[in-house]
Amino acid sequence: MLKSKKHVFWEAAVITVVIFLAGLLFGMLVETSNSSKVSQLYIKSEISLTDAMATATLTEGFDFDCKIIKKSNIDFANRVYEEAITLEEYEDAGLLTENLMFLHKKYDLLRTLIWTSNQNSFDRCDNYDLLIYLYEVETEDTVKQATQNVWSKILYDVKINHKDDILLLPIAADQNLTSLDLLISQYDVKEFPALIINNDNVLYEIDSVSGVESLLN
Amino acid sequence: MDFLVGLYFFYTFISFYFLMLYILTYVQNKKQIFEVVKPNNVKSLSIVIPCYNAADLIGKTIEAQLNSKYEGLKNIIVVDDCSTDNSADIIKQYAKKYRQVMYIKTPSNTGNAAGAKNYGATFVETYLIGFSDDDSVPSKNAISKMVGYFNDKKVGAVTSRVLIKGNKNFLVRAQAIEYKIIAFTRKLLGFLEAIYVTNGPLSIYRKEAFDQAGGFDVKNMTEDIEITWNFVAHGWKVHMAIPAVVYTHPPTTIRTWFHQRIRWNVGGLQTLSKYKKKIAKTGMLGNFILPFFAFSWFIGITGLFFLGYRLFEYISMKILVATYSVSAEVALITMDSFKMNPNILFIFGIVLFTLGLTYTIVALAYSREKGLVIGHNILDIFIYSFFYLLMYPPLLIVAFCKYCRGYNTW
Repeated sequence: MLKSKKHVFWEAAVITVVIFLAGLLFGMLVETSNSSKVSQLYIKSEISLTDAMATATLTEGFDFDCKIIKKSNIDFANRVYEEAITLEEYEDAGLLTENLMFLHKKYDLLRTLIWTSNQNSFDRCDNYDLLIYLYEVETEDTVKQATQNVWSKILYDVKINHKDDILLLPIAADQNLTSLDLLISQYDVKEFPALIINNDNVLYEIDSVSGVESLLN
Repeated sequence: MDFLVGLYFFYTFISFYFLMLYILTYVQNKKQIFEVVKPNNVKSLSIVIPCYNAADLIGKTIEAQLNSKYEGLKNIIVVDDCSTDNSADIIKQYAKKYRQVMYIKTPSNTGNAAGAKNYGATFVETYLIGFSDDDSVPSKNAISKMVGYFNDKKVGAVTSRVLIKGNKNFLVRAQAIEYKIIAFTRKLLGFLEAIYVTNGPLSIYRKEAFDQAGGFDVKNMTEDIEITWNFVAHGWKVHMAIPAVVYTHPPTTIRTWFHQRIRWNVGGLQTLSKYKKKIAKTGMLGNFILPFFAFSWFIGITGLFFLGYRLFEYISMKILVATYSVSAEVALITMDSFKMNPNILFIFGIVLFTLGLTYTIVALAYSREKGLVIGHNILDIFIYSFFYLLMYPPLLIVAFCKYCRGYNTW
């Protein structure tokens, strides 16, 4: 005769908890591994930034070849841009830890530093274009998210068309970074997304790749 | 972690738990799934068949019962619920020809199967009472494979395995898959004393338990669910005999299918409402069946709302991006759209889907016909898993609205 086996309710609960915890642990390990990969890249970029800042200080009183400065700055910004894409991919997959969120913030700070460190060389050489793309990463507004998505595509195309002549820095403006907030207020940026071209024009609307290109040097 | 992610984790946990519950129950009891309990004596049995305008099927149903290989079957009571076709003539012909067959007519149309069943039950004097629908055809040995369970004096009801024959269209094929999975799952629930329905096509009750329950609830649209809960509430055990097969005729059009499922779900809600006070109180009914039922409803309805919300958000976003992209003359789709970087929820989803599919295949393999591995083609299983099951959550919402409006039409 059949016997009831109600203990299976507890057994199933225990197994589910074990599987679930194992899954969460695995997820956390993957996220930690992803963030340490990005951290490694960040450390390299940080060294490059320090080097760039030292170079900027060093070249302040001397005549250095602007071509070399331009190449060095753009190559560095391009690398940071690539790293940001990797970080974004990992961020999309991150649910359990906040490591990647902090890394995003660190990268925004790094890009802010690149922006400030470029002021002198940009003014002196004036042989490349500096595009600062300010957006909101925390926004829940669907229209704004869609607008930012399209702006990213437009700026990506602009960057592809002028790979070696544009220094493009996408920076999340809503990260509560004092230095960034100060810079933003200096340019009197009132809303996001916004695009600052060559420390001069602040655009709140961009309609096409050619529209942006017409404002470049 | 935001609210929606937390909610996804919660749903994932619940899904894992129930899947584990079924898998463990299967693993621990697989040798007993086809177990047949031999009756320790011959128990007298009457089968009651309510009939309303079933002239084309009632003959076959009566014949199938007459062919039953159970010597204790004393009477086949066919209750004509004031049919307007020639069902009565057909039943009378059988009653004339076979001593076992009794023709009974209700004083007036009862309006539902429960009324006719109760009326038929008043003519039963046997130890066991069975009920069958007017379009159900039990296999020859179905009854004999059910009655052995009544050796245990605590067993109040035994139900059979309902299957569907034919593959007229996708809807019928999907229901054939569904019925097999339901039967397999119900058998597993039987090991936990948690069977929550004794089906209409063929179920047998201990007459004493049936009388104690007061018969079927005529106000309930799923009297077979209600009476089972009533039995469990009174402490009776309910079993299922997998080898006892009964074939039924499913709805063949979406409209009739929808109508049937609305009736089932409204009936489920009526039962839930009737027994709500027993939650966490009365054995398996209050501690598992009721919460399980209520929770399934909650998960189904809230899940649909959240899925709808996410879908709306996703589609709105895609439309906006596409519109802006077109006007800005940039690519609509970039390679980034195809990049895969799965998160833990995605991995959980894949594991759940794989386990669920394995469970489905095992359940189908248990009901396969001779010489077949599964008995259904992969495309049907795929469509069943991805489309047929997705029709359920909206159906729950419609049923819920109809229940709130007091829907009570057969």
